[in-house]
Order: sequence, then C-alpha cells, then structure tokens
Amino acid sequence: MPELRYTATLRALSTGGVDFILVGGLAAVLSGAPINTFDVDVVHSREPGNIHRLLPVLDALDAVFRIQPERRLKPNASHLSSSGHLNLITRHGPLDLLGTIGQGLGYQDLIPHSVELHISEELRIRVLDLETLIMIKEELGGEKDRAVLPILRRTLEEQRKR
Amino acid sequence: MPTDDQTGLTDYSPDGVDLTLIRWLLSLTPAERLNLAELSANEILAIRELNARA
Repeated sequence: MPELRYTATLRALSTGGVDFILVGGLAAVLSGAPINTFDVDVVHSREPGNIHRLLPVLDALDAVFRIQPERRLKPNASHLSSSGHLNLITRHGPLDLLGTIGQGLGYQDLIPHSVELHISEELRIRVLDLETLIMIKEELGGEKDRAVLPILRRTLEEQRKR
Repeated sequence: MPTDDQTGLTDYSPDGVDLTLIRWLLSLTPAERLNLAELSANEILAIRELNARA
C-alpha cells in the first residue's frame, strides 16, 4: 500500500490544468466534518480538452484500475468520457474519478454547488459544498451513506453558526 | 461515545455527534484539515499493517 498523499494528488491534478471538483469523504473533511477517508474522489469535466489534460496527469501518477492492479490497466479517453466511476490506484493512493454522482450530476451541474478553497498559495481546489454532499448522500440512501449523515448535518449546522 | 454530561464538559448532539470535535476541526484551516486527514489515514494504515504482520 503506498503512503496516502492527498495533497500531492490534488496538486498534480491542479498543476496539470484539470477541471475537477473534490467530492466524497475528503470534501467532507475539508468542510470540517470529523470523518476518516482513504481515497480522493473527484468529479472531472468530461469535455474533450479536459480529458486531454487529465490523461498525462494520470500517467504521471501511475494510475491503473484498482480492481486488478497487477494487470496495470490504464484508464483511456473513452473511460474518462463515460458517466461512470473509475476506481484507480496511483503512486499516492486510491483515486476515484467520477463522471457523474447522485442522479446523474456532472461537473457543470456541480460547479454552482462548489466552493473554491485555498490549500496553499499555489493550490486552489473546487470542493463540493456540504449542503449538496448531504443531499446526494440522502438520495443515495445506502447504509454507508446514511451512517455518515448525522456528522455531516451537525457539521453544516456548526458551519452556519460561524 | 455519549456519556453523562451533567458536568457540562461535553457537548453531544441528540443523535450522538461530538460537537466539540466538529468545532475543533472548523477552527483549522482547509490546509490543516487536509494534512490531518492525510496523517490520520496513514497512521491507521500503518497500525493495520503492523497488526497484520503480528
């Protein structure tokens, strides 16, 4: 198992000029939710230009499909154009590239529901807001999603008090 | 774990969420939260690996 390096993954995507929104557990943590997560989930723009920029970044990250890492199957432009989920493993840990989330929401749909966060002087990333994260988890209604909802809802309440 | 908070030294929501932990995390910058997530995930994985070897 490689050492997890979330910042390095996000920096690689950002410096590669990739349009993406951070979602999932790490987005929740960045919004202040005290949960643990072991992967980076992003919704990427499926515009051809963005896929063109994303491919070399994935190559530099040694990204291959997680399901059979020994086969070293690399994602291609066709995979990245799909609305499905690509579960990858990289030199910095697991990375999930999501064409859409919830009820078919893609990058453009989610932009109005995201905020830009400054991680450092040179690293700014778009992160899905907590309201939308909660709404999507409520819609999905899976056991794993329901389990984390009380923490996300309370975090949103505390966030609003500030 | 919610316990007797009659002393006022804890603050749990009715559904058992530790609000002091949320407030503490909200007091950090996004970069600090990201760093904490990275560190804690790596610590957990290291402990799992050590125990798998034992």
